[in-house]
Amino acid sequence: MSGGYQAVMWNRAKYIYDAILILGVAAYIGSFISIGALLHPPKDAPEWIDLRVRAFGTCAFLMLTVILSIGPLARLDPKFLPLLYNRRHFGVLTFFIAAFHAWSMVQWFAVQNALPNLVQEFTDWPNYLKFIGFPFKTLGLAALLILLLMAATSHDYWLNFLGPPAWKALHMAVYVAYGLVVLHVMLGAVQTERGPFIPLLIGASASAVALLHLLAGWREHAGDRGKAAADDGWLAVGPPQSIPDKGARIVAAPGGERIAVFRDGNTIGALTNLCAHQNGPIGEGRIIDGLVTCPWHGYQYQLKNGCAPPPFTEKLATYRVRLKNGMIEVNPRPLAAGTEAAIELT
Amino acid sequence: MTRKHRSVHRLLWPALALTLAIGFALSIYLRPPIAAEPIPAAKSQQ
Repeated sequence: MSGGYQAVMWNRAKYIYDAILILGVAAYIGSFISIGALLHPPKDAPEWIDLRVRAFGTCAFLMLTVILSIGPLARLDPKFLPLLYNRRHFGVLTFFIAAFHAWSMVQWFAVQNALPNLVQEFTDWPNYLKFIGFPFKTLGLAALLILLLMAATSHDYWLNFLGPPAWKALHMAVYVAYGLVVLHVMLGAVQTERGPFIPLLIGASASAVALLHLLAGWREHAGDRGKAAADDGWLAVGPPQSIPDKGARIVAAPGGERIAVFRDGNTIGALTNLCAHQNGPIGEGRIIDGLVTCPWHGYQYQLKNGCAPPPFTEKLATYRVRLKNGMIEVNPRPLAAGTEAAIELT
Repeated sequence: MTRKHRSVHRLLWPALALTLAIGFALSIYLRPPIAAEPIPAAKSQQ
């Protein structure tokens, strides 16, 4: 990243993102409670708490649905990339909303002096062998613990400590959390309420998320098939003009990682397609101010050697490129991160 | 994302989608019928 571009620190884009997020959540919860109280006025404290449980529960579910949709949407259409920019704050806020939902549920039992009933629900072991009657609150608690783990490790400190591949793998547990939440609702609220609203909400949301992930995965698979290498092991990229100026063409060697071949005027250089920050698809970014810029969070690198400009220290693996018979070719064997490998076309 | 992460995604999502679809369908199909509400005494006297 450049000295002027603060990818990690607070900036205007993050303030706007977070303001919209908080206002959206406040509007949803405020509307849910107001409309709920108008339609079915709560008679006592437990009924008010019950309304709050529902407001925060549905809000957390919808937030989780949106969070899980952002990734595949951004893969399918770059217009959604701004949503991905500050997704971690979205995730942390979702944890707090879900935690308040859980806390309100505990309060519901507490105001009725029925906390032992709650403990009994968790410890009624024979029910764990049933499908209908399974202690659905345990599913919600497990999901909440996963969200806590995600929120606690969302900071870049943990990203640097664990490294992008391990951090990313850890954060994939959010998919499991989503599955647990869906079952938490289906085995909980849906068993006691017969209205179509909750099943429709859950069914439509889960279907949309699954469909988006399957679609994005199918499209990504096509990009992973890889090109057949020539006898000498080099991969054809195409004529120089086929690489968009200030942009890249992405190629993949069979079984290997993707390579982003950039063109900056007459300079051609190849970098790994994995950003050093979060393994974002750097080849889908642009060259801004002379630096290759990751589309996810704006981390920047020099095309000639894959090094972030001083004072930053991130480095990307580079690849040798050559012009042969009017075609740009790339050698799929990565060079050590930071090795100069770009060429100038005459 | 690395190739490995993409492979995990491709394996995980069909399995998750299938599990959720089965769970969703069963939870609707197997849910117990609503117990018939007793007729209020005042109403039954009318």
